[in-house]
Amino acid sequence: MKVSNEAIRIRLIYAALALILAVLIMLNILMGSSSMTAGEALSILFSHETASKFGRIVWDIRMPRILAAVFLGGALSVSGFLLQTFFANPIAGPYILGISSGAKLCVALTMVYVLRAGLMTSSLMLVIAAFAGSVAVTGIILIISRRIRSMSVLIVCGVMVGYICSAVTEFLVTFADDSNIVNLHNWSMGSFSAVSWDNVRTLTVVVSLAVIAAFMLSKPMTAFQMGEQYARSVGVNLRSFRIGLITLSSLLSATVTAFAGPISFVGIAVPHIIRSVTKTSRPIVMVPQCFLGGAAFCLFCDLLARNLFAPTEMSISTMTAVFGAPVVIFMLLERKAR
Amino acid sequence: MAIIRTEHLDTGYERRIVVAGVDMEIRKGEIVTLIGPNGAGKSTVLKTIAGQLEPVGGVIYISEKERGSYSSNEIARMQSVMLTEKASSERITCEEVVSLGRYPYTGRLGILSSDDRQIVRESMDLVHVSEIADRDYHEISDGQRQRVLLARAISQEPEIMILDEPTSYLDIRHKLEFLDLLRNLVRDRDIGVIMSMHELELAHMISDRVICISSDGRIEMTGAPDEVFTDEAVSRLYGMERGRLTELYVSFIGSITRHPEVHTESDDQVKR
Repeated sequence: MKVSNEAIRIRLIYAALALILAVLIMLNILMGSSSMTAGEALSILFSHETASKFGRIVWDIRMPRILAAVFLGGALSVSGFLLQTFFANPIAGPYILGISSGAKLCVALTMVYVLRAGLMTSSLMLVIAAFAGSVAVTGIILIISRRIRSMSVLIVCGVMVGYICSAVTEFLVTFADDSNIVNLHNWSMGSFSAVSWDNVRTLTVVVSLAVIAAFMLSKPMTAFQMGEQYARSVGVNLRSFRIGLITLSSLLSATVTAFAGPISFVGIAVPHIIRSVTKTSRPIVMVPQCFLGGAAFCLFCDLLARNLFAPTEMSISTMTAVFGAPVVIFMLLERKAR
Repeated sequence: MAIIRTEHLDTGYERRIVVAGVDMEIRKGEIVTLIGPNGAGKSTVLKTIAGQLEPVGGVIYISEKERGSYSSNEIARMQSVMLTEKASSERITCEEVVSLGRYPYTGRLGILSSDDRQIVRESMDLVHVSEIADRDYHEISDGQRQRVLLARAISQEPEIMILDEPTSYLDIRHKLEFLDLLRNLVRDRDIGVIMSMHELELAHMISDRVICISSDGRIEMTGAPDEVFTDEAVSRLYGMERGRLTELYVSFIGSITRHPEVHTESDDQVKR
């Protein structure tokens, strides 16, 4: 009886997330500097016409942006959940641990270098650069976590590493002498605006594969949540499990940074909200729901970022911080009260 | 037949042997307890047997076959462990914790079959934690938590259970309650138990055999509780002078062994 109650609740949450996601996608199509009616939008969607003004707006501008927000938002939130499992700490996330900033630095380096050589950057190149940066910072954080057992110190170290990487990136951006610097600057603040269809193809493939792989790790993750000695005792190969977890979380957050720049707090706030609603941290529930939740969260924030002070567009990170940071503060207070 | 037997087992870390030359065996349906001063290496021995630490030397046999000849999943189906380690997960219900005992039996995604669910429920009934099945694991008392972990160990359907100081953080009532459960379990299911303990008087009550590890990392003595818990042996093991402490201890043990009703009384209390 109880089991089925829980199953029903989780199914309801899936349904609710799907509905919210659908509504947000629709709103994101309709709203913007030139608004259209739902009827117009639907006919454009179903006829695939790209000739009219609205057709071009929907298919060339809004759709890639929406897909980017969905997949990158989901990626960020799953990446946060993986890191939280890995470090056994609900405040861990790719942004706060400096991993996003490491990725940002590497992407900026690549962009400056490649542009100076007179070449074009490809989607894959950016992902690889971001991945290298993510892994490097994750490595540093791991070394620190070996030496210091305190989680709060680890978080502070992550924030500091993040600042260092951001400072170096700022330096690069300031002195880079290319006209593409405007793009570089926008991107380093965090935005879905520069995502092209070519980017979308790469990022949907990478994110989908990584999220499916994370889902397949649900079982050992469940055992790992009970402690590493316990995981080993039931036959989890800890070494390869750890490598898998870190690789996937780095790949996910790297993809986000490569295409949209660093985006704050999604990785902590969304898993926390999902956990509070589902009342479980079982990875088999958390991974797909974090993906849907992260997608909805980023769509919502992007909708506001585009429309709130239109025609001026805000950075996505501003919006995610406004909505995400309070969630994190509440979470900390809640834990303290326990 | 011995479920676990060790031959000249040296335990410890790469360069530093903690307990050397361990020869022991654990048979079905018996409780073997490791005692010894703090830091002697009780946990190290248990962790080595549980596969958490590689043996530095010597051999461990499980059902007379070398430990290395089994896959990690085969071992997980034969032995369950209860070590002193905290769970990290934020939200997890007691039932989810117990369900984890089915880990070695479930498929790729770890989804429980109806048989698995049945076993989980039975395990919870056995140690009386069914009422708290839906409670958060972090919000229950220490006594309840140890019982939930015991239920998890049971649902793993092991032939042997390895427990590291399972009673250390419990008050006296919960200590007795826990040991009572363990005793019944060993009898009913014919499981072997090896555990470490601080409380000599409780070790005396519950164990079939006691292994004493001295502070210099040797097995000092192995035997039935009555043979081991002599005035002399205990003083030697814990490095105490024959004197006031020993007298105190002997009078304490004496009162337990002389008045078995003390034990039954607490048993009844537990059942109630």
